[in-house]
Amino acid sequence: MHYDDICRFLYTEASLLDARKYEEWLDLLDDNIRYRMPLRATRDFKDPCDIVNDMTFFDETKQSLRTRVERLRTTSAWAENPHTRTRHVVTNILVTGENGPDEATVQSYVLILRSIRDKADVEQLFGERIDVIRRVDGSLKLMERTVHPDQTVLSMLNLSIFV
Amino acid sequence: MKYGKLDRSLLENVRAKVQRGLLPQWAFTDPDVFQAELERIFAKTWNFLGHESEVARPGDYVTRWIARDPVLLVRDAEGKVQAYLNSCTHRGTKLCTADFGNKKAFTCPYHGWTFNLAGELTGIVAGNKVYGKEMDRSQWSLRKIPRVESYQGMIFGSLNEHVEPLETFLGDMKWYFDLMLGRSDHGMEVRGIPQRWIIHTNWKISADNFGGDPYHTAMTHRSTVELGISPKDPMYASYGYQIVLDNGHGINIVTRRKDMNVPPFQGLPQAMWPMFERNLDPVQLDVFRNTMITVGNCFPNLSFVSPMHGTGGPDEPLTSFVNFRVWRPLTPTSIEVTSWLMVDKDAPEAFKEASYLSYVGSFGPAGTLEQDDAEIWTRVAEASQGWMTQDKDVHYNNVLNYLMGLDRVEPDPSWPGPGVAYPTCYLDAISRAFYERWIECLLDDAI
Repeated sequence: MHYDDICRFLYTEASLLDARKYEEWLDLLDDNIRYRMPLRATRDFKDPCDIVNDMTFFDETKQSLRTRVERLRTTSAWAENPHTRTRHVVTNILVTGENGPDEATVQSYVLILRSIRDKADVEQLFGERIDVIRRVDGSLKLMERTVHPDQTVLSMLNLSIFV
Repeated sequence: MKYGKLDRSLLENVRAKVQRGLLPQWAFTDPDVFQAELERIFAKTWNFLGHESEVARPGDYVTRWIARDPVLLVRDAEGKVQAYLNSCTHRGTKLCTADFGNKKAFTCPYHGWTFNLAGELTGIVAGNKVYGKEMDRSQWSLRKIPRVESYQGMIFGSLNEHVEPLETFLGDMKWYFDLMLGRSDHGMEVRGIPQRWIIHTNWKISADNFGGDPYHTAMTHRSTVELGISPKDPMYASYGYQIVLDNGHGINIVTRRKDMNVPPFQGLPQAMWPMFERNLDPVQLDVFRNTMITVGNCFPNLSFVSPMHGTGGPDEPLTSFVNFRVWRPLTPTSIEVTSWLMVDKDAPEAFKEASYLSYVGSFGPAGTLEQDDAEIWTRVAEASQGWMTQDKDVHYNNVLNYLMGLDRVEPDPSWPGPGVAYPTCYLDAISRAFYERWIECLLDDAI
């Protein structure tokens, strides 16, 4: 799998999310996707693992993500009515593993800047994403996404967006 | 028009309004109100700290807050739960910065003073050389949170050594806590660690929402109605009882109706039902059998919800969960939410997993229900900061409407449980009781 193809895939995904083209975004996800965002914790120096997998902010399947998208398309999903405006800044893309010619594990950094109504304050969410990307019938699909936020206490009021 | 000061006559005026279902909008945002709340509510009453399962073994600890007081909650070597001010007695440094872990001792990074699980000062760098043998180390133990007590595994602390016993404070709320927390043989456990996030709203807005406001579901959560996940009937969350309890506590129980085809005991696995019969008294058992949703608030800022929810669309089965959360006041218009998912230790693993997915899908900052709550609560705070709403002269122009059911809905004497139960959940009775308790607290020390 070419590095350029992986970058193009992730940038395309970010562009669809920021344009709120969620149905097209869903098409990039494999039907068996596992989409998770575990909690970050502040740990003691001697406890190096600071990700808590038993609790998450998101633990989604394709079906539950589709339900979330359908909800955002109703007239009364107030968190996004009026919709908030985001920029998914995706950088530091590294291929950290390959499973044959058609599957790669990819680490990326994400910084989401979010503007809500007329507020001058910028809402931010940032962290790393570990994705499994596979070529299926000639096009890339997201098989798995794990988001590790850097904040232990999220400063965003809600996550009516996708990371 | 006057901006006004928060004195006794003003507060007495507010009490009279609150009793008649009117709340001045500045109650949400006034900085003097906020300061008075810190002094007269959070420093005086019981505050939820954590669940016993979070500090299960000796040496287990979690760090928490009571408003602005950092708290180190530990299980000591004898197995007793202790709560200390998380601040070194030498120079005041925050002693433990980790969220959770297991330790035998806590060493301050500033000068190296070390405290054991009993809070005793056991180590001082170069101790005898710099302080001499005459320093009495027992005088410099970690400062204990004055009172720590628990009920059904729920650990509370109070900064007020003269506070009433926890069980007296909880009163009839204990009976309802039993339904959520005491129904199975080995009690509850916290899954993972609590979620935490910040919302720019006032703590009373969220506490009142959980405590007394099932009415908001029809509009705030209308998206789930549009999706076919929630019933179309705008009264659906009203069918049940709003129960006003002492001390500002309250709970709503949405009950199972025959036409809704909802399983008993919130759909909990049938294998657990014999436990419910063992652990609940017959009246509790009967109430719990017909419970679909419980949602309420334990004064001041410990809210809970135990609904049945699905995430996969209208055809997916509904699964219940038990969620407790603290709305920690940071400023008049910001709170830190700490939200615990609890599940019966004795529940089958498959149920625990389904219950977790049901919670994460619907509540927490990404929950399809809670997303919209947070947005709307920020809009209340945002619109409550201007001159018109801050005018302390309490009049028709700056009070909000808590009139639902006042002098109109009578208690239902046939309700078998404790408290004053009204035969609908669309009612402001709990809100009025919450704000009556709130204003009594503010009046307690008012000049």
